[in-house]
Amino acid sequence: MAREKYATNVKRQVAMVLDLNKCLGCQTCTIACKKMWNTDTGSGYAYWNNVETMPGKGYPANWQTTGGIDAEGKIKRGEIPTLDTGYGRAWTFDHQEVFASSGNEPSQKIWIQPKEKNVKHGANWDEDEGVGTYPEDNHYFYLPRICNHCEEPACLHACPRGAIVKNEENGIVMVNQDRCHGYRFCVEACPYKKVYFDPKRQVANKCIFCAPRVEEGVAPACARQCPGRLRYVGFMDDEDGPIWKLVKKWGVAVPLHPEYGIGPNVFYVPPMSPPQLDMHGVPLDEPRIPMAFLEQLFGPAVKDAMNILLEERERKKAGESSELMDLLIAYDWNENFKLDDGTREVFS
Amino acid sequence: MKKKLDLISAPTGLQPGNYVKEAYVDPREPSTPKADVEVTQNGKAWQLTLSWDCPDPVTDVSDDTHRFIDSVAFMAPGTPDAVWITMGEEGKPVEAILWRADREAPLRVVAEGWGTVERNEPPEGWTVTSAWDKGRWTVTFNIAEWPALEAHQQLAAAVWRGAARNRAGLKSVSPGWFPIEA
Repeated sequence: MAREKYATNVKRQVAMVLDLNKCLGCQTCTIACKKMWNTDTGSGYAYWNNVETMPGKGYPANWQTTGGIDAEGKIKRGEIPTLDTGYGRAWTFDHQEVFASSGNEPSQKIWIQPKEKNVKHGANWDEDEGVGTYPEDNHYFYLPRICNHCEEPACLHACPRGAIVKNEENGIVMVNQDRCHGYRFCVEACPYKKVYFDPKRQVANKCIFCAPRVEEGVAPACARQCPGRLRYVGFMDDEDGPIWKLVKKWGVAVPLHPEYGIGPNVFYVPPMSPPQLDMHGVPLDEPRIPMAFLEQLFGPAVKDAMNILLEERERKKAGESSELMDLLIAYDWNENFKLDDGTREVFS
Repeated sequence: MKKKLDLISAPTGLQPGNYVKEAYVDPREPSTPKADVEVTQNGKAWQLTLSWDCPDPVTDVSDDTHRFIDSVAFMAPGTPDAVWITMGEEGKPVEAILWRADREAPLRVVAEGWGTVERNEPPEGWTVTSAWDKGRWTVTFNIAEWPALEAHQQLAAAVWRGAARNRAGLKSVSPGWFPIEA
C-alpha cells in the first residue's frame, strides 16, 4: 500500500546543506549540540547530531536497514535499537583511578579508559575504518547527520498521540513531550533513526534544529560551531540564501536517501575523492569513493551534482570565477547563514 | 461476579497515522488470549481483579530503549452509547483505570476517541495491588467510587504484554463491553 500523504500548512521551510568535502570528523558539532540540548541522564547515549564514518554501520548500527520505510519507499515495520547493540551506552571513565595513580612510576600509571567492558557499539564506533585496500582504493568520508525535518515526517505520521508536530513558521519537527506516552512508533518509523527515547523519563526526543536560535535569526549550534565551515543554513525559498543556491540553482546539494520519499530538508554536497591507483601506483580514472556507493546514499542525482562540482572546480583552477566554488570555499562565512532580516552576522 | 474472558487483539487497521496500521497487520492471535475477571461491589466501592498468564513479566523498563512495561486497564463508558473500540468519541467519553508494573499507584484515564487519551493521577481512594506468581499476574484495583461504572454497569479490559512489545493500540482486549452482573 502506498503511504498516505498528509497536507501540512508549513509556510516556509528551514534547511541545511553540509559540504562533505570539508568535514574533518572532529565532532565539534556533536558536542555543541549535546552540551546545549541533551544532557538528560536517560538520553546520555543519544546524539541528535552525530558524525559517522562512511562506509560503515553508522549510528545507530545499521540505521539504513532498520527504519520503517523500505528501499521502494513503502512502510515496513521498523526496529527500535537497543542500548547495547544499537546505540551503545554512554561510557564512564576511570578518572578517579587515573588521578590516584598520577604519582606512580610510569609503568604503574593508570591511563584513561572506559569502565565498560565488552562494548558492542557506540556513536562513533567505526571511526576512520572505511573500506578498500591500501594504497589502491582505500577510502572513507564523514557523514554528519541531524534530523532531516522532513516534508512528510515518518515520525509524525507514526505517532498515535499527535505528539510530534511540524512548525508552520519554519517546518521544524519537534516532539511535544507533554503528549508523548513513550510508545516509540516514531523511533521505529523514522528511516534515518533520528528520534531517540529517554527510558528514564519515558519520552521521545530529537533534534529541534535549534528552534529558539532560528527564531532569533541565529543558525543552529552544530552549524555555527563547525570549524570546517561546511554547514549552510537558510530557507528553501530564499533565492538570495545559500540553500536555494546550492540545492536549486546549482543542484550540487542532494538529500540523503531520497528513495524513502519523505522529503528530507538536509542536503549534502557529495565528497569528491582522489583517483584509485593500479598495482603500479598509477592513477586510474575511477574515484576512490565509488559513484555506486554515493548513489546508494544520495540517489541518482548525485552523479550530476558531482559533475557540476568537478566542472566548477576546474574553472576555478583555471583562474576563472565561480560563484559556486566561492560559496563552497566560504570566503565570507556570513554567507553560510541566512535566516531572515534579523539574522545575526558571524562577525560584526 | 466472576467471568472468564476470551481476549482478542485490538484491530490495528483503525489506528491513527499511517505507520501502525500498515506496519502492524492485525495479528490473528492475541498476545494474551485469556483472562479471569472478578468484580465485587460494596456500597459505592468497587474491587476489580484481573489475572492472566504471563510467562515473561516486564516490571522495569528504565534501563533500555526497546523494552515495554506490562500493563492492564479496566474501562467504563462515560455515556450509554460510548464506543468501546475507538475509546469513545467526541462528546461520548470513556473512563479507565490503568496499572503499570513500574508504578505503585494506578493512573486514571479519560478519552474521547483515538489519540485523545489523557492520563492523570487517580482520585483519592483509587489504589492497586499486583502480584506475579508462577507465571501469572493478578492485579486488583480498589476504587472508592466510580460513578461511570455505577451508572452504566459495563466494563472492558485491556492487557499489554511488555515482552511482546505491546503498547498503545497493540494490546489484547475484551471483545466489547461486558456487563457486570451482580
